[in-house]
Amino acid sequence: MRTLPDPSVRVRDTAVDLRSVTRLFGTVPAVVRVDLSIDRGEAVVLRGPNGAGKSTLLRIVATAISPTFGGGSVLGFDLIADREQIRARCELLTHRTRLYEELTALENVRVFTDLLELEPERADRALERVGLSAEAGERVRGFSSGMRQRVAIARTIARDPDLLLLDEPATALDQAARELVGSVIVDASARGRTVLIATHHDVPDGLHARVVSMRDGRIGAAA
Amino acid sequence: MAATAERALGRATSRSGERVLGVSAFIALGVSAVLSLVVAPPDAVQGEVQRLMYVHVPAAWLAYLSFFVVFVSSIAYLRTRRTRWDRLAEASAEIGVLFTALAIALGMLWGKPVWGTWWTWDPRLTTTAVLLLIYIGYLSIRRISDNPARRARWAAVVGIVGFIDVPIVHLSVVWWRSIHQGSTVFRLGGPDIEGTMLLALLVGVAAFTVTYAYLLTLRLRVGRLEERAIREALAPTVETPA
Amino acid sequence: MTLVRHTAVIARKDLAIEIRGRHALGTLLPFAATLLVAFGFAFGPGREILARVAPGLLWMAVLFSAVIASRRAYQSETEDGALEGLLLAPIDKAAIFLGKATAVTAELLALVIAVLGLVIVLFEMPVGSPVPLVAAFVLGSVGLAVVGSLFGVVAESARTREAIFPMLVLPLVTPVLIAGVRATDLAAAGRTDDALAWLGLLAAFDIVFVSVGILVFGSLMED
Repeated sequence: MRTLPDPSVRVRDTAVDLRSVTRLFGTVPAVVRVDLSIDRGEAVVLRGPNGAGKSTLLRIVATAISPTFGGGSVLGFDLIADREQIRARCELLTHRTRLYEELTALENVRVFTDLLELEPERADRALERVGLSAEAGERVRGFSSGMRQRVAIARTIARDPDLLLLDEPATALDQAARELVGSVIVDASARGRTVLIATHHDVPDGLHARVVSMRDGRIGAAA
Repeated sequence: MAATAERALGRATSRSGERVLGVSAFIALGVSAVLSLVVAPPDAVQGEVQRLMYVHVPAAWLAYLSFFVVFVSSIAYLRTRRTRWDRLAEASAEIGVLFTALAIALGMLWGKPVWGTWWTWDPRLTTTAVLLLIYIGYLSIRRISDNPARRARWAAVVGIVGFIDVPIVHLSVVWWRSIHQGSTVFRLGGPDIEGTMLLALLVGVAAFTVTYAYLLTLRLRVGRLEERAIREALAPTVETPA
Repeated sequence: MTLVRHTAVIARKDLAIEIRGRHALGTLLPFAATLLVAFGFAFGPGREILARVAPGLLWMAVLFSAVIASRRAYQSETEDGALEGLLLAPIDKAAIFLGKATAVTAELLALVIAVLGLVIVLFEMPVGSPVPLVAAFVLGSVGLAVVGSLFGVVAESARTREAIFPMLVLPLVTPVLIAGVRATDLAAAGRTDDALAWLGLLAAFDIVFVSVGILVFGSLMED
């Protein structure tokens, strides 16, 4: 009778487990037979040229779009059958800020804290963290692109998701915003959150990340 | 029950099934034509024009039957996400829109000599006209997205919502028209329809139904070929599902 | 119930956007007013004719406004890609449908209140029984808003040709148009009992489409 767990069986706590995922847009393949495995707490950088399929892959993990073929799980939940569970625990940051122009910065964040049933104060604290406390009550319509990204980041901070997905986070950001994103990523990783970044820029300092390359919809050898 | 339906569909859509249906449709239409044009007597009031009923009524019946098939397939698709149901819905809609247009055209042709005008907002004809518009909406929404799964889902929603709406539309039009005490010209039934006329009508309905089934199998075959062509084009790049 | 709560969040958000963007007031009201005046020129100046067609013209104005308002309800979601944010929120997607339908209904009712006065004056429409008159517009607006909010998500989700949205909505809302005009006509003439049947039809339409909409809306949103 065994009293100790068998050391030859590695128990992996997987955050992302994609198996032969393929996504077509019409007849154009964007992601082809991708196998990807990410452990909880890992930081992974997805590198590849434009059009490699990085954004599509991230969106599949986020469950924004579904795979045409293949499947898998994210944070233990099935990619196709348990999408809402995945959505509750992960956040996707892209260059599209997903803001409502006529609402204030605070209201934009509050929409999501309300929907997710988090305390409203988290929205205020998040805006403070990104340096927008003063502008919290102003409509987003007048914001610069750097400020808009910071509101989007505040939304993410307020949620503190288990899995953080970032699609080209450094693009079209000013230096200050880029540093802010970097610090958020490093901070999340340090606290044990799983991070997946698609970028062809440099990785933020202080982040120990595994690099996975992608080209023409396929995953290359992991570095 | 779903399994037997699928098996029956499979048998019907095989090449031999298709041929059997084709021959049956041809024969049935022939018999129907003889019955409606020769055997059945002309109407006491309307004369020969009334013979249009033998084509108009079956066409109208099919307009609604096709949409019912679209409705059921749409539900089946949303529940199972199997493309065969979407293919069936698409095929039935394409055939159905033709029968609907035919029914309306024949209704107008029949109405002109009888009413003296092309259109009097007769409740059944009006509802069929709205049905035609809903069909067109169904076919149009299929053209928007190039993503097959999305296209199928959107179409399925229109198929379901549209079909549920039809009885409500009909009720509203019937009430609406009842204000003007218009007689419904399409005297179909009632105790005074003559025996042979009823027979001709029923045979016509049956013949059109078989024709519908035949057209459906043809259209489904085209759909399968289209899909096979796409699959083969993608095969070198992509793994295909079982 | 969570669905009700989430519906309220989204309805509130949409109404805030509309009020601040002054779309409803700035665009819909002039549009409806201009339409009605144009109808006046087209059908007038005979007073009997105008009084007779007043209910129909009013409902035409409401119908067209509903198409515009429903479309607009989703445009605020596509400016910065906010719709994806709602998709990725772990909420019942039906809340989006119900929230938007609620907001559009409110806008339509505000519009009706504004133009009803105009119609009563311009077309000398009598107001025999005010209660069924109001009920007709409330129930009718709900029906139009529900169908519009259901298919509005399609109109904004993909590259669509302009005309597809009204083409989908208008045939489906035929019962609302017929019942609405008849109920308004009867209510204007003071024939409350006769109007009740039509009000019942409107209510049935609303119940059916809200129920079906809740069931199928998710399928329209997902990709």
